[in-house]
Amino acid sequence: MVKKTGISRRDFFTKSSMTIAAAAAAAGGAAFEVPSLIGPAAAQTNEPTGDPIHIGFLAALSGPDAGWGLPGLTGNQLFIDRVNAEGGLLVGNERRPLKMFAFDDEATGSKALQGAKQLVLENDVKFISAIGGNPADATHPYLTKMKVIYASLISTDIKPDRPYLIAGGDVTPRIDMLRPFYHRFVNRDLHRWAVISQDDTIGLTSQAWEVGSALSDGWDVVYDEHYAIETTDFAPVVTAMLATNPDVVSLNLSYPTFVVQIIEQLYLQGYEGLISANYLDTESILQKVPAEFLEGATDSFPLFDDPWWGSPSWQHNFIEDWMARYGPGAPEDVHREITGIDWDHVITLKVWAEGVTLAGTIDPDQVLETMRAQEAIPSILGPATMRGKDMWGIDNMISPPIPINEVRNGTKRVQAQIRFEQWFESRKDEIIKVVEEKGQMHYQR
Amino acid sequence: MDLPTIIQTVANSIVAGSVYAVIAVGLAMAFGVMKMANFAHGEFFMVGAYTVYVFYALMGWPFPAAVLMAIPVVALLGVATERFIFRPTRENVLAGFMATAGLAFIMQVLVGQIWGVGLMRSVPTPYMGAMDLAGARVGWQRVIVIPSAAVMLLALWYFLRHMKAGKALRACAQDPETARLQGININRMTMLAMAISGALAGLAGALMAPIHPVTPYMGHSVILTAFIVVVMGGMDSIAGAIIAAVLLGFIHTFVTTLSDAVTAQMVGVACMAVVLIVRPQGLLGRVKA
Repeated sequence: MVKKTGISRRDFFTKSSMTIAAAAAAAGGAAFEVPSLIGPAAAQTNEPTGDPIHIGFLAALSGPDAGWGLPGLTGNQLFIDRVNAEGGLLVGNERRPLKMFAFDDEATGSKALQGAKQLVLENDVKFISAIGGNPADATHPYLTKMKVIYASLISTDIKPDRPYLIAGGDVTPRIDMLRPFYHRFVNRDLHRWAVISQDDTIGLTSQAWEVGSALSDGWDVVYDEHYAIETTDFAPVVTAMLATNPDVVSLNLSYPTFVVQIIEQLYLQGYEGLISANYLDTESILQKVPAEFLEGATDSFPLFDDPWWGSPSWQHNFIEDWMARYGPGAPEDVHREITGIDWDHVITLKVWAEGVTLAGTIDPDQVLETMRAQEAIPSILGPATMRGKDMWGIDNMISPPIPINEVRNGTKRVQAQIRFEQWFESRKDEIIKVVEEKGQMHYQR
Repeated sequence: MDLPTIIQTVANSIVAGSVYAVIAVGLAMAFGVMKMANFAHGEFFMVGAYTVYVFYALMGWPFPAAVLMAIPVVALLGVATERFIFRPTRENVLAGFMATAGLAFIMQVLVGQIWGVGLMRSVPTPYMGAMDLAGARVGWQRVIVIPSAAVMLLALWYFLRHMKAGKALRACAQDPETARLQGININRMTMLAMAISGALAGLAGALMAPIHPVTPYMGHSVILTAFIVVVMGGMDSIAGAIIAAVLLGFIHTFVTTLSDAVTAQMVGVACMAVVLIVRPQGLLGRVKA
């Protein structure tokens, strides 16, 4: 395993151009805090005084992609129940309860369109939580016409002709862009960056942004390839990658199943460098490789029981509530561990709910305008902004601070939260040039 | 491609070929006896993997015991498939194909309902670490597939060549009518063929459970490869299937290393097409009189 140069988290923030807020957070070991309009402190009454607001959940709830959809129901329901326990969402002078309606789109466009129509026409939803991808492509003309906000997990779904599509919950590809930056500071003696992801739309786009960022941070990108999404044997893929002798192997937005297999092969084929990925499911990975091998690996999906967040905190409360309701032996036991997807959909839902309260209306245009006008909107990862025009052509990307985790003794721990906007502003021309060369800008795809 | 990469790729190819052989031989055998293709063979593989998931990962049995458990579990599944699908549809090949395709979907949904359809089930690697082979490193979990495949195939060869039931199976595969006239119970033989086919698929799935992502849909990825192997080898030829499996293992692995898995799959199918043009009966298939 590559030895680090010993730069501490505090040094990292001191030596980089991070925001004051991030430096303060690092020094204090606490997350960003912004007063929320939703929550006990904001609650004036616990009696609803207005009609319910209907929320849609349009995602794969069965089939191979259900792993991305089903967990989102738990997080959204916890959030909705918490809001309702306080009397509902504050809209103008009324407290309006939230109610969720779910539709299984099986990750297919035609089913998604059918679901969107049902959710809008029959259930009168005002906001739809979704995974995105093909279903976003299929539903956006209809949802644009009906002016219903569609929250995708995938930022690459954002385009100028989709004014009501917001995204950014899983902070991709920003997290993939900031990990080279983080490693540049923490491991200054490393130079060779290898990156790989699956060859689907989000893999191609996300990796293009990461490569641009790595180059802008001075990395020598020695391997920049995509594996077929049909790949089941990663031994030859890893062999080809290791032939380039990388210092850091980044798995970009590889899906969790692929990440486990690739990391297992990295271990088996004797790789000794660092690993970096969008999401590391450490529980699954550590069943395949020893904890020492994963030491120092980075990702950007934090654990909510991390001391970083402080206690009590929204994150700690969430995990306690989740375990009490859905954990082993709980009334609605889902027979699995909590994952990042359980809270991933909540990021956007909570930001939208804050926007509704700030705007005092559920009118989508006014809500979006209000959200864009805020310097900071509370999100579960810290104060978010609505940006993205440089990357996607419209300011519909919810952008909270980006957490960077390192695996320490088999457990992910937040090492830093980085503000994306300032970092991006200083190098966006260089990065966008690379993304353009790869044909992955929103006007090229 | 430098020498260490070539050595590593050869090692990867041998492992891949062994896995393909274990999966495909059962399919070839069932076809040889029944002349019907089992589209649910991939799901048999999946049930083998889930057996290991349940007994090893969830219940804490030793890995070898869980693997051994998968053999009778999937063999029984094979028997049931023969009894309730292949036997009633024996006179209608298309109906058998369609019924097993339906069985595949039913098994996917059933397993999904019982163990969930979320992200993959995680099966801990029982034998962590890797073996050094002239500079190439191959994980122990993959290495054990090679002797397991060899032992299994040798046992099958011995059974077919030297045991009465095995000889009867071969007779059924060569000429069912003549076999029947010799007093061989065809129903019993087809049931035995499906039991062995299921056992082999179950064993393959069980051995691969710690390597392959365990999901209700994992059979999809193996069935295409298994069919390519069987068609290349000669539909009812076990030896042909083994040779084709090794060839395809090398083709897939080298092309994936040099290019990607989609190209590898295309090259594999192209090779199958070439074999069928040059030798329509497959590498070791027999020309029907």
